[in-house]
Amino acid sequence: MPESVIQVERVFRNYGSFRAVDGVSFEVHRGEVFAMLGPNGSGKTTTMRMILDLLKPDSGTIAVFGGPLVDAARDRIGYLPEERGLYRNVQVIEMMIYLGTLKGLSRRDAQQRSQRLLERLEMGDQSKKKISELSKGMQQKIQIAVTVLHDPDLIIVDEPFSGLDPVNSLVLKDLLTEFKSRGGTIVMSTHQMTQVEEMADRLFMIHRGQQKLYGTVDAIRKQYAQHAIIVEGRGDWAALPGVVSVETRENGRSSAVLHLAEGVSSDSVLVAITSSGSIHIERFELAVPDLNDIFIRVVEENRL
Amino acid sequence: MSSFSRVGLVARREYLFNLRRRSFLFAVFGVPLFTFAMWFIIFAVMEDSENDLGKVEKVGVADASGLLDGQIVPLDVPVQFEFYADATHAQQALDDAAIGAYISLPAQYLRSGQVEIYSYGTVPAALEDAVRQLLLANLSQFAPPDMPFDRIQNPVVMSIYVNDTGRTLTEANIPALFFLPMIFALLFMMSSGVTSGFLMSGIVEEKTNRIIEVLVTSVSPLQLLTGKIIGLGLLGLTQLLIWGAAGMVLITVGQAVPFLNGIEFPLTLMLVFGVYFILSYFLLSTLMAGIGAISGSEQESRQYSTIISLLFIIPFFFIPNFIAEPNGTTAVVLTMIPFTAPMSILFRIGFGVVPPVQMVASLLLLFLTTFGVALASARVFKWAVLHYGRRPTLWQVFGVLRASRTAEGGEARL
Repeated sequence: MPESVIQVERVFRNYGSFRAVDGVSFEVHRGEVFAMLGPNGSGKTTTMRMILDLLKPDSGTIAVFGGPLVDAARDRIGYLPEERGLYRNVQVIEMMIYLGTLKGLSRRDAQQRSQRLLERLEMGDQSKKKISELSKGMQQKIQIAVTVLHDPDLIIVDEPFSGLDPVNSLVLKDLLTEFKSRGGTIVMSTHQMTQVEEMADRLFMIHRGQQKLYGTVDAIRKQYAQHAIIVEGRGDWAALPGVVSVETRENGRSSAVLHLAEGVSSDSVLVAITSSGSIHIERFELAVPDLNDIFIRVVEENRL
Repeated sequence: MSSFSRVGLVARREYLFNLRRRSFLFAVFGVPLFTFAMWFIIFAVMEDSENDLGKVEKVGVADASGLLDGQIVPLDVPVQFEFYADATHAQQALDDAAIGAYISLPAQYLRSGQVEIYSYGTVPAALEDAVRQLLLANLSQFAPPDMPFDRIQNPVVMSIYVNDTGRTLTEANIPALFFLPMIFALLFMMSSGVTSGFLMSGIVEEKTNRIIEVLVTSVSPLQLLTGKIIGLGLLGLTQLLIWGAAGMVLITVGQAVPFLNGIEFPLTLMLVFGVYFILSYFLLSTLMAGIGAISGSEQESRQYSTIISLLFIIPFFFIPNFIAEPNGTTAVVLTMIPFTAPMSILFRIGFGVVPPVQMVASLLLLFLTTFGVALASARVFKWAVLHYGRRPTLWQVFGVLRASRTAEGGEARL
């Protein structure tokens, strides 16, 4: 059984008469990338703030590293909030050292690590510059660096990719992957589903304060899979045994979605294609929706 | 890392960062110049109230030298002189408030020219002039033939005794006694104003640029607030030490300047200044911290802080009252109000004497208010630092102060 880093059980949180978090429960396992999804205002940030003990839940329990969030446990966490900012009239290195020492590093250690991280982020020559002299993207990289500066066991990153160009997104992704490969746990909130598909092991989706999806990314995609196959090629798809209907897609690549009759497996359709001799096949895959489609579907369903 | 170390780290950062600020350097070195300018202005203004003889009316005369021989040459001064057999009787009359002050001419007056004025509270400069005129007029009429030439040239070498305090005013150190409290008051305002201003703008900056959210995952809001107050308090003390050192140098170097001659730093005044400075600094800074936490912008917080700073300088508008009646109702009331107490107490010590009971009561009220404000500010601070986007309403702030937790925003950990 995987070791739990965070355990959230039946947590409720109201703002006045508005219920921001409505009885959610989930666990985050050691060494995984755990994605928190949900539309704006769904309760993600409130849940993160409760995990970080910045807000108290109205009821329910939250355990981090097996217990309440004491100071020693807090030093093992790195946090990148969604609303970001830095001291403006301070040197990059000076601010990094300050935030590092607040997390328990010695000044010397904080300085060495900061310099190493800046080099890693191709910003080694910026260390003596004032924050206000940096571009927005550079400032964001500094913030991400500060999050992992003290080599935490767990990082909670709220929308880490927002505002980054593709090159810097890649740099960040590498940094997060490296952090995970060292055994670190990542809780990540994002609207970029491709990042979740590429990086996350498990996900949790919250909408209007309520839990909507929870599990491994693969399991959730399969849960939303249609009984259909996506194909590309040439031939009479409708003539294949077990195909109920054909939905052609005009995407310039002559692809089609084959809806299958109940009890017909995708394997038997593949066998029929290869043995027909009249069909030229270029692509064959299960019609599993991407996370973006699932996200939109969940939100739409709850709007009704 | 212990809670103490975290507070220390915040204090260290606040101290070192603000020490290098241009506005701090300007305050440290530019303000002394401004203070001296103010000194001269106040000196000019005070001349007027110094001429008010209305409070003295009757002045006793104890003449051991026999020079006056019970005779007074009529003078065009608004005081009435009354003879007493000796200084003891005159002192008795002063204690009974039959007279406002008395002058004592010692037996060897003709040789030394020594004249002493005894009173409770301040001796108006006009009284000194009246005494000078009296002696000059009498010397010219009743002087014995063997009167030293010195006395004709310089009839009075005045010493003034302010009875309650036992302090002696010689002509040379009158500016010191009057102006030191005022300088201290100005220094206090400048120093605590600058540092608590830094405190407030620092909090507003951290809140508006959202770094506060990262900070409070490392230190608790109360540790953050305590660290800031300690760091900036030390900065304020540094500022005072620099000013103090500059003052000492100025006084040492400037002994030749009559205006500076004789200035010393009375221990009681320094002690009272120290105690009131620390308490008032905490009162001002905790208030500023609370305001910084609920303000939406630096501009908005400055408006509030200006109002609070005005509360502290109210006593300046009552300087004439402090001079005329250091123990009058206005002075006592201002001493008891925590916001006006620091300035008022300094003025009163300078111009008269503060009964110990009043000082204890004033300190107690200031201490209790500071304590209450610190608790309230800490509560508002920890709630409001993460409450951004829209400014909390006054009702919400009251709600936070009333309840241990609130519906809006909830509490963060202390």
